[in-house]
This record gives sequence, structure tokens and C-alpha cells, in this order.
Amino acid sequence: MSPFFLLDYNSKINFSARNEPRGVGVHPHRGFETVTIAYQGAVSHHDSAGNSGIIYPGDVQWMTAASGILHKEYHEQEFSLTGGDFQMVQLWVNLPAKDKMSRPKYQDIKNAEMARYNLPDGGGVIQIIAGEYKGIKGSASTFSPLHLYNARLNKGAKTTLSFPENFNTGFVIIEGGVLINGEEVALTDQFVHFNNDGDEIQVEALESSVILVLSGEPINEPIAQYGPFLMNSQEEIQIAISDFNQGKFGYLED
Amino acid sequence: MDPLLETFKTYLQNKVAITDEQFALISDRLKIKTFEKNEMILMKGDTSANGYFVLSGLMRSYSIDSKGKTHIIQFAPEQWWLSERNGMLFNEASDLFIDAIEPTKALLVHKDFMNESAKHVPCMHDLNHNMLNNFIRFMQKRINMLLSATAEERYLNFITLYPSLTLRVPQWMIASYLGITPESLSRVRKDLAHKHFRI
Repeated sequence: MSPFFLLDYNSKINFSARNEPRGVGVHPHRGFETVTIAYQGAVSHHDSAGNSGIIYPGDVQWMTAASGILHKEYHEQEFSLTGGDFQMVQLWVNLPAKDKMSRPKYQDIKNAEMARYNLPDGGGVIQIIAGEYKGIKGSASTFSPLHLYNARLNKGAKTTLSFPENFNTGFVIIEGGVLINGEEVALTDQFVHFNNDGDEIQVEALESSVILVLSGEPINEPIAQYGPFLMNSQEEIQIAISDFNQGKFGYLED
Repeated sequence: MDPLLETFKTYLQNKVAITDEQFALISDRLKIKTFEKNEMILMKGDTSANGYFVLSGLMRSYSIDSKGKTHIIQFAPEQWWLSERNGMLFNEASDLFIDAIEPTKALLVHKDFMNESAKHVPCMHDLNHNMLNNFIRFMQKRINMLLSATAEERYLNFITLYPSLTLRVPQWMIASYLGITPESLSRVRKDLAHKHFRI
């Protein structure tokens, strides 16, 4: 579903309290962006360029790995100690070939500061992470045209989403249940992948719902993937592996 | 033909002039075995008449010393051979353990496979001969590295030999293979990053 290469969905799970935080140890990335969207629980991250931070519920971390970085992600200390519900999405957003070796960067988009559109009649809110909705722009800058929203709908709310027909579009139902185009019901933890045969989607919330909305213009370039690297050719993958082995992604203590 | 067996045919054809018909004559003797992650394949003290050619996944051979420490002798990712020769060729108890680090599919290759194959397909004799020489060269380099190379030299040699393994196995396994401590490996990688990381 280009430009989205991968969607790693951690459905809601209750973690027991623990002294030693669970997480993913040091690993590299090159050639794409990781977008982490927190719904419940909190994650700490550190990288080989010296950046670190915490992603809290409602926050989004947009990390452009591009030419390469090492990072690690763990349950935030306090969350780990108390335990509780945890629910997250991590997207891998592909980069156009010309931007794959650009400088790594971060965009932290805090829940409180996120661009939003209030639906009429108390229907809820569309939070715009990237792209735009009804003229309101999300703060994240992207390398190819795409829209990313959290649609938080109250029961009975109806809304229409419009995307160009050639954009690849999908929903993750984070919570609740929605009726799509008056025909199909999608429930919690389901993914909806739309055909490229129209430019409007009607959504009706059957109960209080949260939907992650993804839509983007496909990047029509060759893809070569190995583990944490997403490039255009096998040669570039070999270079990425070799660069990683030689320390060109930096160093980060486990 | 199983597409994985096809990869073995391609491997052979890159090394010797074996035709599809000739391959069909010898491939009946090969069995594809599937191993789960962490599955023990050979125990120390056991004897097996078989070696392995890895089609997908990753295996290793190792010993455990009197203090309980693991020493990795060899990694075998895709297209590598792995065998324990004490048992396979001399019918003695194995000195080593073999297990699968990742979910693995490997060809089970009986010790007589090369000789039997050479009766029908003469070029298999040359292949066997070359492989033996190559294996001895590999061991010679490995002994030399372990006796005389610095930790950094060992690591640089390792990433040339096994480029993808740094992404596939934990640090301690690489350190174990290199005969250095995990701390020493960390230092080497830190020094290299210091020299090469530009942002």
C-alpha cells in the first residue's frame, strides 16, 4: 500500500508491572521513516545521534531514518513499573529514491498541539497528523503526498473523507465500530483497504470510535528490503549492511 | 522440484558444469529437513553420518567448556555447509553441538553423498576436492585470526565473511565466535562508529 510499506499494530494488551522495561534493543534503519502513534501506554526512545524522548498516548513520533540511524525503543520507565494497557501503531513510510539518503530527523507531534478539525454537532474530532483535512494542515512534513489522521468519532457521527482516486487508502479501527459507505461494518482491530475506484468515503460511527486513517500517493519505484533497510536495489541493501557493520550508523549502548 | 532444492542446483551449477539431468540423478539422495528456532540438531557425544547444507535460515556449531561457557566454532547461514567431522567421517563421538539459531531448512547430506554422486557425475569429485581445500583454508585463516589478530581485525574479517549476521544474531554470539568478550566487541564497534559516523 505504497507509500506505506509496513504497519506494525500492537493491539491493546495489558502489561504486568515490571522493573526491567520491555522493548526492542538497538537496531538500524535506512531508506524510510518510522511513524509511531501511541494510543495507550508510553514508549521511550534513544538514538545514535543523541536524541531521546518519550511518546505518550495521543502523541506521534515521526522519525525520518533516511541515510541511517541506530535506535532503541522501550516501555517508558514509569509505565513499566505500574503496567497497564498498551496500544500502538508503527508505520514504515517509504521515501522517494532521491530522499533515501537525506539527513535523519525527527518531528515530535504532541497530542495537545496536533492540528484538529471539530466535526459539527459534537460529532468528534479529526486530528490531522500529516496532510490536510478540510483545509486544515497537519504539522508533519512529508517527502511524498500523504494524509494521516486520527479520527475520533462520537456515536452516530457521520463524516466524509476525500482522497484522490490514485492514492492508496486504508483504515485501522483502533477502537469502536464504523459503517463504511453505508455498506460495510468495520470493528476494533480490523484493517480496511480501499479500492482505487472513487474519491469519497462515508463513515458513520456505530459507537464511540477511533480510526487511524492513512492515504498516500504511491511511490512507483523499485523496492528492495532486507530486515531494517528499505532501498531501491539489492546493491543498495548490500551497501546498507556494510555501512551498518562499519559503524556508519553510529553507536548506541544496548 | 522443490524451489529450495532448485537453489542447491543453482549453487552447484555456479561451481561445476552439472546439467539438469545429472542433478536429477543425484538429488534423490538429498532430504530437506526443517528445524525450528533453537532446535538442537546434534548433541555432543552423539554420532551422525550426515552433514548439512543450509537452504534458508541459520545454524551454528559450538562447544561448551568446563566452566559452562559457549564457544561458537562456525555459523552456517544460507549456502553454507556445516558438519561435525569427528562423527560424520570417523564414526567417533561428536565434540560439538549443532543447533538452529533461526527457523531453518537444510539439506541432509550423507557422508557418502559426494563419492556416490561422483560415480554418476564425475565433476562432483572436483567439487568435493575444491570444497575440502576451501574448508581447510577457512580453518587456517580462522586459527591464524584467533591466535594473532586484534579484536578489531577479527571483527572486520567477520563482517566480510558473514555480512548479514550482525543483524541476525545477538552480540554475545559474535563475540563468542571471535573469541573476545562482548565488552571488547562493543568497544570495537564504538571505535568504528567514532571513525565513520557523520551526521
